[in-house]
Amino acid sequence: MQFSFSSDQRDFAASLREMLTNEFTTKQLREIWDTGTGHDPALWARLSDMGVLSMMLPETDAGMGADFTDVILLLEELGRAAVPGPVFETMTVGALALHGTSFATGIADGSVAVTAALLGEANVPHAGMSDVVLLRDGDCVSAVERSALQLTSVCGLDGGRSLSTILRPTGLGTIVAIEWSEAIDAGALGAAAYLLGVSSRMLEIAGDYARERRQFGQPIGAFQAVKHLMADALLKVEFARPAIARAAWSMAVGDDDRSRDVSMAKVLVADAAVKAARSALQVHGAIGYTWECDLQLFMKKAWALIPAWGTTTFHRRRVSDAVLGVRV
Amino acid sequence: MDLTETEDEKSFRAEARQWLQANVPATPLPSFDTAEGFELHRQWEGLLFEAGWSAVSWPVEYGGRGADYLKWLIFEEEYWRSGAPGRVSQNGIFLLGPTIIEVGTEAQKARYLPAMASSREIWAQAWSEPDAGSDLASIRSKGRLSDDGTEWILDGQKTWASRAAWADWCFGIFRTDPESIRHRGLTFILIPLDTPGITVRPIAQLDGDAGFAEIFFDDVHVPVANTLGEPGKGWNVAMAAAGFERGVSLRSPARFNVAVDRLIELWKQVGDLDDDTMRDAVTDLWMQAEGYKLHTAMTVTKLLEGGHIGSESSLNKIFWSEMDVRAHELALQLLGPGAERTDGPYESWVDGFLFSLSGPIYAGTNEIQRNIIADRVLNLPRA
Ligand SMILES: Cc1cc2nc3c(=O)[nH]c(=O)nc-3n(C[C@H](O)[C@H](O)[C@H](O)COP(=O)(O)OP(=O)(O)OC[C@H]3O[C@@H](n4cnc5c(N)ncnc54)[C@H](O)[C@@H]3O)c2cc1C
Repeated sequence: MQFSFSSDQRDFAASLREMLTNEFTTKQLREIWDTGTGHDPALWARLSDMGVLSMMLPETDAGMGADFTDVILLLEELGRAAVPGPVFETMTVGALALHGTSFATGIADGSVAVTAALLGEANVPHAGMSDVVLLRDGDCVSAVERSALQLTSVCGLDGGRSLSTILRPTGLGTIVAIEWSEAIDAGALGAAAYLLGVSSRMLEIAGDYARERRQFGQPIGAFQAVKHLMADALLKVEFARPAIARAAWSMAVGDDDRSRDVSMAKVLVADAAVKAARSALQVHGAIGYTWECDLQLFMKKAWALIPAWGTTTFHRRRVSDAVLGVRV
Repeated sequence: MDLTETEDEKSFRAEARQWLQANVPATPLPSFDTAEGFELHRQWEGLLFEAGWSAVSWPVEYGGRGADYLKWLIFEEEYWRSGAPGRVSQNGIFLLGPTIIEVGTEAQKARYLPAMASSREIWAQAWSEPDAGSDLASIRSKGRLSDDGTEWILDGQKTWASRAAWADWCFGIFRTDPESIRHRGLTFILIPLDTPGITVRPIAQLDGDAGFAEIFFDDVHVPVANTLGEPGKGWNVAMAAAGFERGVSLRSPARFNVAVDRLIELWKQVGDLDDDTMRDAVTDLWMQAEGYKLHTAMTVTKLLEGGHIGSESSLNKIFWSEMDVRAHELALQLLGPGAERTDGPYESWVDGFLFSLSGPIYAGTNEIQRNIIADRVLNLPRA
């Protein structure tokens, strides 16, 4: 047994972090928010050039033939930067659903973005700017070109996700080679890994602030109440991390328990994200409650993703069905 | 990443399982915090040692099996699943032993390790004092060199020393430089508990058994050869030991996985299966225990790949101790009024509940662990 990432996997994540730190600051993220599109075409092209988007496509589709263990560190980095648009959706469930189709090379070259509405067709993120939307057809998944759908845009919390409600004319779409439950597993794990990155970023921001802000003649981070708040949040984040890695392994090898493992990862990271957001905000005091403070960019991403791809109740029930037996 | 077991790991597991199945006592031993139970546990550990299972991660020449930590985790899984007795030798094999292996002289390794592995000598940890608990660096028990420089002469008082009521030896930290303050001027010393001048006074714990003891030192002479590490550097020796303990060896995940499996059985037996709140709570605990197992496996892989565990080991200690309390609280909730009875079929849950409550206190309280995480992992300013 070897429960660690290879140096290639870590190096790629480090280079992605470096690119995002240099080329995608919170200032740029705010500019995307201001456009109202929830999408940054230039960044998308950059990610495509780096080979990030096509990781999970087979080589025959100009991809890297990678599995989940190769991408979760990348997804975490994308979350740390709150990269807008359907990035984890396209990289994970998009690639797994559309490999071998005419859309696949578009994913690789950055011309096709994929979003999904597999748990309901209201408030679908990124639908307005995606090229393909994955929809549920019973136990199957259909791929539909966005242009064939009627979208009504609605307002959302996170400026990095534009929301729409979908009206779907009947008889549309092509069934693709992934089952609905498999697609849920892939998307939920993508969301979990991304959310891990968002959560640790919130704690970093809070840590920076706690070192800098002074009250009563000392940095607030020296107060024990602040220390313990942050230590408890870190605890949850750090214990979600190995669960996500294990789920990635289970998905990569097609383990029988993969749905359980993905759900466990999503429950743990969602709890961690709730805690990290609350704690980070509290550490900031009033400044954290402003539009101006960058923390909001990440909190809102977290709040959007905590219930996405299956609520905590949905995932906890999947775990309990697997562990305790299906509820009668 | 590869989470499958190698052939070598599989056969190691099979070998451990087979031996345990054949040798684990059919009925549970009495508590090791009683005179009789202590000796029965010592005998059990002797049996383990004879078969090479007592200190699996130690080098073979000192009575271990030379297994890496991943195999140690496998052994622990098999050990706890088999229902084998708790380890009366815990302080020695998992705390002092690894420290001696790390900083001891060859003579010390040869002298202490085999006797520790076989439980011929069982150890107690004498660090805390009445006025030095969380603030361990304020200890006052002192040691001074004899005039000829061959002996330490020890005076003072230690307390809360687990297993000390019947243990043979203790390892303590003493202030050997009277001018020193705090972490400096402390020395780590190994002491036979039958040395003249030592008085051990057992203390009854919450369950009434003498699980720990006070140790009084009155003009106690021990050879300077019993110093572990350099004189005056006892704090570093102690902290190296404690970090490893918190991070990996004190509570291996398997005992919690087993406890949660038992909790699930209990829930199936006595729970209201229509109560979704309880169902969710049991599920959450399963995830916690599983999460702890994964976290430990990741830590151990990191160690095997040449990494170190630093202050993040404090995260582990908080995690398992709070999970353990929660598991037992839930069990008692399931048992309802029946949980009051201490001699019935659910005795182990009630005992376990009492014991779980000490987890957030011993090995450094959870508040102290949070301080450590904040200061050294999150790099927040010191108070
Ligand atoms: C079952 C059991 C077994 C033990 N076995 C051993 C043993 O074998 N050998 C040994 O040497 N010791 C042993 N101990 C002692 C243990 O290490 C101490 O109890 C522990 O370090 C706390 O010290 P204390 O009890 O003096 O509590 P105190 O230090 O007085 O703490 C009391 C409370 O104040 C809090 N507190 C103290 N300082 C701070 C701070 N800076 N910030 C925030 N909160 C703070 C603590 O967290 C705690 O809640 C054992 C204890 C127990 C319960």
